[in-house]
Amino acid sequence: MKLELGYVFIKDIQFAEVSKVENGTLYVSKEEVRKIILEDQNFISAEVELAKPGESIRIMPVKDVIEPRVKVDGPGGIFPGMVNKVETVGSGKTNVLKGAAVVTTGKIVGFQEGIIDMTGTGSEYTPFSKLNNLVLVCEPKEGLKQHEHEKALRFAGYKVALYLGELARSLTPDETETFETLSVTEGIKAYPELPRVAYVLMLQSQGLMHDTYVYGVDAKQSLTTMLYPTEIMDGAIVSGNCVSACDKNTTYHHLNNPVVHDLFAEHGKTLNFVGVIITNENVYLADKERSSNWSAKLAEFLGLDGVLISQEGFGNPDTDLIMNCKKIETKGIKTVIITDEYAGRDGSSQSLADADASADAVVTGGNANQVIELPALDKVIGYSKVADIIAGGFDGSLHADGSITAELQVITGATNEMGFNKLSAR
Amino acid sequence: MIITNNNTVYEKYKNDYNINFINGGFKDVLITTRDKIHEGYELLTHPLSSSIKPNETPYKSIIISDNKGNINYNSLIIIENSIIAYDKFNNMKVYNNYSEKIIEDFKLIDLTVLESALNT
Amino acid sequence: MIKVVQYINQFFANVGGEEMAHIPAEVREGVVGPGLAFKQAFGDEAEIVATIVCGDSYFNENLEEAKKVVLDMVKKYNPDLFIAGPAFNAGRYGVACGTIATAVKEELGIPSLTGMYKENPGADMFKNKIYMVSTKNSAAGMRDAVKKMAPLALKLAKGEKIGASIEEGYMPNGIRVNFFEKERGSKRAVDMLIKKLSGKEYVTEFPMPDFDRVDPNPAVKDITKAKIALVTSGGIVPKGNPDHIESSSASKYGEYDIDGVMDLTEATYETAHGGYDPVYANLDADRVLPVDILREFEKQGKIGSLHKYFYTTVGNGTAVKSSKGFAEEFSKKLKADGVDAVILTST
Repeated sequence: MKLELGYVFIKDIQFAEVSKVENGTLYVSKEEVRKIILEDQNFISAEVELAKPGESIRIMPVKDVIEPRVKVDGPGGIFPGMVNKVETVGSGKTNVLKGAAVVTTGKIVGFQEGIIDMTGTGSEYTPFSKLNNLVLVCEPKEGLKQHEHEKALRFAGYKVALYLGELARSLTPDETETFETLSVTEGIKAYPELPRVAYVLMLQSQGLMHDTYVYGVDAKQSLTTMLYPTEIMDGAIVSGNCVSACDKNTTYHHLNNPVVHDLFAEHGKTLNFVGVIITNENVYLADKERSSNWSAKLAEFLGLDGVLISQEGFGNPDTDLIMNCKKIETKGIKTVIITDEYAGRDGSSQSLADADASADAVVTGGNANQVIELPALDKVIGYSKVADIIAGGFDGSLHADGSITAELQVITGATNEMGFNKLSAR
Repeated sequence: MIITNNNTVYEKYKNDYNINFINGGFKDVLITTRDKIHEGYELLTHPLSSSIKPNETPYKSIIISDNKGNINYNSLIIIENSIIAYDKFNNMKVYNNYSEKIIEDFKLIDLTVLESALNT
Repeated sequence: MIKVVQYINQFFANVGGEEMAHIPAEVREGVVGPGLAFKQAFGDEAEIVATIVCGDSYFNENLEEAKKVVLDMVKKYNPDLFIAGPAFNAGRYGVACGTIATAVKEELGIPSLTGMYKENPGADMFKNKIYMVSTKNSAAGMRDAVKKMAPLALKLAKGEKIGASIEEGYMPNGIRVNFFEKERGSKRAVDMLIKKLSGKEYVTEFPMPDFDRVDPNPAVKDITKAKIALVTSGGIVPKGNPDHIESSSASKYGEYDIDGVMDLTEATYETAHGGYDPVYANLDADRVLPVDILREFEKQGKIGSLHKYFYTTVGNGTAVKSSKGFAEEFSKKLKADGVDAVILTST
């Protein structure tokens, strides 16, 4: 399967009468975007705001971040099974508005997650401070249930992202990149000497605000299975996970999965990137056993030499991570795992909730309990009052001047467990 | 058997499941679960289910086996690690002066996380 | 200017080798030996005002006394910073550096730093208590050691934020510190996997907790015929603690004859352990070392016999390495005495 990504670089975002992309600027019609959001009767009003790199803006509470993409050539459309039909995606051509994103915010439940600061200390920890963001603030109708609210918000994000992506359909990309995965037998013939490597991608799957969808299927209801890496680039996996802001994988992370990109960079040189095994992180311990058994079984079945495992979320996924690692190592397949740490505010506590000696190659996204000071910023998009009751915040987190003292875990994407960032710990 | 301190779970499932309702905190649920594991019950759901940190939500529901057998060491290791993680987080002060609405939200999240296990 | 006091041993002070290791601590004004290299590295930011020279044997054999004397010497100069060593692979020097640097930090509240080779016994003992720079294994690594120690020392003296171990060059001390790597995590993971696949050396970013698990032995075939021994880290000793086993960080274990002893009483046994409330163990030491019950079992034929000796030490803060050493020694004795099984009790 072969996919060409065409990057249209976006250096600025502005409101305009008509939405379009011109000379690296993304022009957005506020009215059009609001209309799209309000198609859903669950919302009574919607604000649309801009947040650019370096601006004194704080966005909170962030639910999801989505990159605008459009399928230019090849079967299916972006977000198959969710917005578009369940066609198998991942081949042909896809254009990307690189440097732009749609950010959804909202108070689905009373306690909150996720800050993106566009400048200052906080901006160093979130990758989204470097993007030209279109921020959606959607007001739900009275009495809307949390489940429906979450879903409505999620779809508002997809629809607006697809609307913006559509603007790139007929543009000539500034840069293109091609990714190809051969079938198992072709791969063996093409790279007989190279170690066979796959990526085990763990997906959060535990209930309301903890879910991930694959071609529209709730991941917790799926057995461990396989994808071509390029399917992910076309939005085969989307995030409905609104909890644990620092180490949840937003839809943006899935679309731009860094492990997929960095394995492709070595593909055909030092290793043969065979494919992606996706597995869930369910609540039921028997599910954890079954899913990790299947990860190990598929790894063996594919004749792998090495596996890279990434995690999502806090606490019980440590158990899935260690099960996956241990069982795959037992098959004689070498593993490297990516995780993050909750080592306490002083860094002295045990970082993970599970451990095993077989996990001898670990990459960490840093200690999420580290306390940081976020300066007051000129403008808050979303709901500012929630800082005290935000994950990683504490009584008095939000100071009178608008500055915030909180744990790093308040920052969206700060300790990402796909290894999206440079942050680490020792 | 469900061990829970979440009355929403209790009210919804009291007629369908054997529920051990704990009139106490998250930690009391963990300790009760540990004691049951000592007696030979098997842990069926992960005590740190949900990514909500144990110093944020006051509510926890855990499923264990209805029947007891020999002590299950995997269960024991998981519950002990969970108690350690709980204590680690509760050494850190967080906001907990929650409004009634937020309390209800926490109960709902706990319920849905539990249901994700009940329905599989 | 930052005032520094440095501690070195007799060898680095050019007094002599092992034959001079007995000399007690003395103060010399200004710089001695390795201080020269530090002086150069500090430039005009810091000055070594005094150097304390002490023999390794003297320090280790008169630990409490030596510590007190050196602390008094340091206090007199009221420095902003204390440097001990670097000790490289010299074992007793390393322990002395770790001990005194920790004491200066904890008792005088003065920032202090030491350095040594990672396998120096002083490293495991003190790396979690003070900043300890990882050096090469011989004095030939002095330049490299000073290059790492001097900047960290200045940061400590100025009260600046100390970065992660890998940035600053100190040994990982159990405190996780965030920092930004050059490459993103996924790239680091891919690189690590390539190294692991090709059998090259790689360094995990998060070492798993040290399990050191031991597989259990097969079950005793017939417990009614087995000779059982008791071993404890709960510090149970004959009244008066005849071998002076330390209440913490024990340096030895005891072997005691319980031939004919049916019950441990308040009058005959006690605990040497300083890490738990001793009241109940002292009232009835069987609570920790169940001699009484095993005697009953012996009489009832539930076990073959209770071994003549029990082995005991204090687990409180005792180095894993020491514990292993003790066990290696007495396990041989237990085997030689034909013991079939051991009951280990802890507290």
